[in-house]
Amino acid sequence: MRGPTVLKAEDDKTRQLNKHTLMAFSGESGDTVQFAEYIQANAALYSMRNDTELSPSAVANFVRGELARSLRSRSPYTVNLLLGGIDPVTEKPHLYWVDYLASLAPLPYAAHGYAQYYCLSILDKHHHPDCSLEEGLALLTLCTDELKRRLPIDYKGMLVKVVTKDGVQEIAVDNDKVVRSA
Amino acid sequence: MTSLMGNQSGTIGYSFSEPTSANVKQHSFYPYTDNGGSTLGITGADFAILAGDTRSTSGYNINSRMVPKVFKIGGDDDTGEGATIILSVVGFAADGNALKEKLDTVVKMYKYQHGKSMSVSACAQRLSTILYEKRFFPYYVHAILAGLDEEGVGALYSYDPVGSYEREQCRAAGAASSLIMPFLDNQVNSKNQYIPGSGEGHALVPKKAEPLDKETAKKLVQDAFTSAVERHIEVGDGLQMLIVTREGIEEVFHALKQD
Amino acid sequence: MAQKVVEAYETGSGAGKNAPFVPIVHESLDLQADRLLPSQSNPFDINGGACVAMVGKDCVAIACDLRLGMQSLTISNNFPKIFNYAPSTYLGLTGLATDVNTVSDLFRYKVNMYRLREERDIAPQTLANLVSSSLYEKRFGPYFVSPVLAGINPTTGKPFICGFDSIGCIDFAKDFIVSGTASDQLFGTCEGLWEPDLAPEDLFETISQALLSAVDRDALSGWGAQVYIIEKDKVTQRLLKGRQD
Repeated sequence: MRGPTVLKAEDDKTRQLNKHTLMAFSGESGDTVQFAEYIQANAALYSMRNDTELSPSAVANFVRGELARSLRSRSPYTVNLLLGGIDPVTEKPHLYWVDYLASLAPLPYAAHGYAQYYCLSILDKHHHPDCSLEEGLALLTLCTDELKRRLPIDYKGMLVKVVTKDGVQEIAVDNDKVVRSA
Repeated sequence: MTSLMGNQSGTIGYSFSEPTSANVKQHSFYPYTDNGGSTLGITGADFAILAGDTRSTSGYNINSRMVPKVFKIGGDDDTGEGATIILSVVGFAADGNALKEKLDTVVKMYKYQHGKSMSVSACAQRLSTILYEKRFFPYYVHAILAGLDEEGVGALYSYDPVGSYEREQCRAAGAASSLIMPFLDNQVNSKNQYIPGSGEGHALVPKKAEPLDKETAKKLVQDAFTSAVERHIEVGDGLQMLIVTREGIEEVFHALKQD
Repeated sequence: MAQKVVEAYETGSGAGKNAPFVPIVHESLDLQADRLLPSQSNPFDINGGACVAMVGKDCVAIACDLRLGMQSLTISNNFPKIFNYAPSTYLGLTGLATDVNTVSDLFRYKVNMYRLREERDIAPQTLANLVSSSLYEKRFGPYFVSPVLAGINPTTGKPFICGFDSIGCIDFAKDFIVSGTASDQLFGTCEGLWEPDLAPEDLFETISQALLSAVDRDALSGWGAQVYIIEKDKVTQRLLKGRQD
């Protein structure tokens, strides 16, 4: 978006950092992609040099460090991030919430921007620690439906990607589904 | 948008009032002062206590070490003899005094006109009205009103500066209210306390708040104030306590640190 | 409280005609002006949080709340603010969450380097001086944190606590140290509940009651708490369930 004008309806706001880690971002346009691809390149460089992958927690802390460094520079990146991944050793899933101030919090579920106000209460109620993929996708639908129902702007749908121990895959979603307000 | 921002100086401006760059001497009068200090009220089954420190400050200066913040309301003479209601005011002392005088007059007039004393609940509602009357030039005070209700049980009402009020078991107001109030929650209303051995983990039964006896309440008031004096510079010098019981109003003074 | 009148405005006639209309903003006499100022401008009040340390008889305790928020929105209810740097040395950090992360990581690095060079654990007193000098290095662009340190000196066996401001000024206290958005409330509860020479179990009860009661009167702190009771050769960590609002 530029002001009130939609520039592109299907913009992928995620970058894959390594086989098991995916990063989603929002914030100032320009900053976002620039920062995400800088991180992506560094994660790739690490994987090539060491012939091993950084764990999600290692990536998260690296990302946070870079964002924190940028925060006290002359022109900080205004980027909010969600980092999801599977630890290749333990095969345990991890999710990290990072805001533009570089605050890092490991969370069971997270959102940024207005989505927080609409979705966190739904997730508080329905999420549980051993949530299966199917349950998770159903829960995500509850959230996106609520956004469609309550957000005053048409946000042109979602792009959903899932990280499993086999890697990252995109899940098809019906973005043309109409959800009416009560 | 830009055309409306007539000036480039960054301050708020309108096209119809162009700012001058000359040094305009600006005068202002601010009608309020914060005189610091703290007040506190606790009720029990057959009594109500209002307490306040007696220090009066403005900024880092101490105006006086003996300015009472707790008053008897609706007494027969100027000693307050015969009163059954007490009021504490903290914030701007001049407004506090004006408010006290006004409420005192109202309660006296009520007695002359109706031939009976005003109940605390009626007085509480009247005080709210008095405060709200000055909604757009408020009395800059946090008031607490106390007495005994129709059943003889301790009653305490706390107010914001514009008359919003609530009956409570206890309340701290003023400069050190943020220090005293959580202590009161814990010690008077037994918040965060559980009955030992009443269950495992989250099944523990919360301790019920029992009405305090008078001596325990007086001790708590003293503890709360000695604590507040340690950590808040606007609180100190003396502690004045007014205790309402069926027998009348008892007044007690204690020394507090003067540093 | 700040004693200043920021701006005044002209009333109607005379000189006021050409003056800009500037709304009147009085900070000085708002009864609780400091607390009512918009929190977004104060880095210490954005994320919220509280921390407290207390001395007992041959033991110390340190406790923190678990909330991480952005203004009034709670992001996480599992964000501990106490970090371990040696078997009986703990550091609590409240303030801006990003700096809590940065500073805790920085000290993990520095303390690890210390341990490798010296081949021994860092003493709480040494860590206190390290914290102080590290924070003062950033005197003109500080980390927005208020650290609290608690530990037992491994050689003397004596309890030690201290607190810092964001630029490293040390507050050596014999009783207790508080920090965070609930610091006023903590001063009240600690001053009221603490007494000298408490045994470990009593110290646990005291610090827990002080912290829980304090954070319940602060909108930016709470959502559970973590308590460490540190004795000479034993550390007990407890997780407290607090009000979930």
